[in-house]
Amino acid sequence: MNKEIQVSISQKDDVSILNIQGDVTAISGETIEEAYQKVNTNGAKKILLYFDKDGYINSGGIAILIGIASESRKNEQKIRITGLSAHFQKIFNMVGLTKYTEIFPTEELALKDF
Amino acid sequence: MTSDNNIELHIPSIMGFEKIAMECSASVAKKMGFTQDRIEDLKTAVAEACLNAIEHGNKMDTNTKVGITLTVEESKLQVSVKDQGKGIDQILTPSIENKVGGKENPRGWGIFLIKSLMNEVSFEPSPEGGNIIKMIIYLEK
Repeated sequence: MNKEIQVSISQKDDVSILNIQGDVTAISGETIEEAYQKVNTNGAKKILLYFDKDGYINSGGIAILIGIASESRKNEQKIRITGLSAHFQKIFNMVGLTKYTEIFPTEELALKDF
Repeated sequence: MTSDNNIELHIPSIMGFEKIAMECSASVAKKMGFTQDRIEDLKTAVAEACLNAIEHGNKMDTNTKVGITLTVEESKLQVSVKDQGKGIDQILTPSIENKVGGKENPRGWGIFLIKSLMNEVSFEPSPEGGNIIKMIIYLEK
């Protein structure tokens, strides 16, 4: 029923980009966590989460992202976000995720001065 | 359809089926003339109410169903989500600081989001057993 998730990892200079296509839920979260752990193991200090504008994100998915925000603090990593629809930007603000991550309207702006 | 202004649907207690209720509510809201912003708010609230019913109310028991009733009125849409469970013990206000700091489970945002996005929210026991969450969203003109 959920749109299957696909997470691909790419690198631009010193920024690790996790391209997240599909729904972000408690069920799909494991795939995002695995991708995060992969870049973490490789020593990433700057991580960009690139979301699917048409994807569905629920509270289970938000919990997964909170887990990543929590780990990134311990690992002294910076996390930026792009690709979110206006609605999910509002939701991320509401729950307070924007205290731990920064949201940018485009990939270009997210990568600038990272 | 059960009456002129009521639409009912039942979904199995399986994660992912909340999207059926979400899309149905969105279609009704669109037909009523809600703005896209408010439709997105409604979609999230309905999805979260269904997820709570599936996970916490019905404990993901596939023999149970979640009932959704949409009641259309001139200036508002009411969505009731009914489970077959025993109710929620306590509704805590989530804290992002505690969750990121590892002092609280990172989950538990559903009710917070529903209350933040809908105009009115109430919880009540169902006469047939189980619980009902009623959410109202007003049509702004």
